[in-house]
Amino acid sequence: MSKLLKRALRDSLVPAILMIAGKALGIFIVSGKYGFPLEIGNDINGIFSTQIYFEDSQITYFVNSISDLMMLIVIAVPTLYQIIKTALFQSSLNNPKTIVKLAKFNILQWITRDDTTFLRIFVWCVFLWLCTGIIIKNALEGDTYSWIAIVSGLLSILSGFGALKTFEIEISRVYPDSKKYY
Amino acid sequence: MKNQKFKKFLTTVLEPFVFGLLALLFILPTITVMNLEPITKVLKDLDVLGVSSKTEVEINVIGGTHQIFNREKIQQDESGTYTYTTILTRRDADRYSKPILEIKNNKNIEVKLEIYGNTHLPTYSNISMIINDQGYILQSPNGDVTTQKILLLPNQKYVIYLVVESFSNVQFNEDFDLKIREIQ
Repeated sequence: MSKLLKRALRDSLVPAILMIAGKALGIFIVSGKYGFPLEIGNDINGIFSTQIYFEDSQITYFVNSISDLMMLIVIAVPTLYQIIKTALFQSSLNNPKTIVKLAKFNILQWITRDDTTFLRIFVWCVFLWLCTGIIIKNALEGDTYSWIAIVSGLLSILSGFGALKTFEIEISRVYPDSKKYY
Repeated sequence: MKNQKFKKFLTTVLEPFVFGLLALLFILPTITVMNLEPITKVLKDLDVLGVSSKTEVEINVIGGTHQIFNREKIQQDESGTYTYTTILTRRDADRYSKPILEIKNNKNIEVKLEIYGNTHLPTYSNISMIINDQGYILQSPNGDVTTQKILLLPNQKYVIYLVVESFSNVQFNEDFDLKIREIQ
């Protein structure tokens, strides 16, 4: 089995679990905090077999929105952290000012190890895009606040650019820019 | 040597399955998250013995997926009127039907319901409902709305089927509302 495939499998596990956990915990935490009564059903409707029921449509709307936001946060924060970390690491290689700034903010540990690869960032980005797709679909159907869909869309675009930048950095490692040496 | 060959063969055979597994790692969370989306439904009011003690008319969406009936929802306003909404997607001239609502009369007396529904724009479609194999017209092709009165027997369950019959192709989506309220 190729190393790339093994790494892709390993890197996909955590975001896959976090995505489900974020949504499920979002529902249960919000309904627990506000004391909303919920019921879990298991009627088979198409490919779906489990349903979470709330009595009031406003409660359903609120819980769905907050759980979507929670899912977005648990996926977007690590994705953006990895992108920023990689960008800072690369910047510190070329610009000593970055190291001074990082020392000032006491986040030098971010650039001590280059353990974030393009593959990992790409996998997290794909999960973020999937989350965004679901949230936008929900917003269009009137099941989620539209501002959450807008935020998720912006984060997706931002992380897409970040992933592209990381890809360029990885490529320049393999095929260095020849102009640098003349 | 033989062992290495076997290993190589096994890797070649296993690799497509690992690709499938990788794809599943993306597909399964997506489906699970969509499955976890909460739905509005009248909750069962169970006592300590696990028996429902609610004595009123319960109306719930049956749900499921359908080519023509999309985004089904039900809401109850403060006056007790239920509003079922769905989007009828663009369609070819044909007859389409789907079970949309389940009505339970938990009372020990007969209950009379007033039901009427229409699309926001007349689309030259015949819209009706079927309850216990009996058809009831809701909206005629020219847009006229007919209010129907249905008698529910005590402690009985009814399933409402929505039927849309289009005589020509409909090229746009339309919102359909169905109002249900209890009358004396």
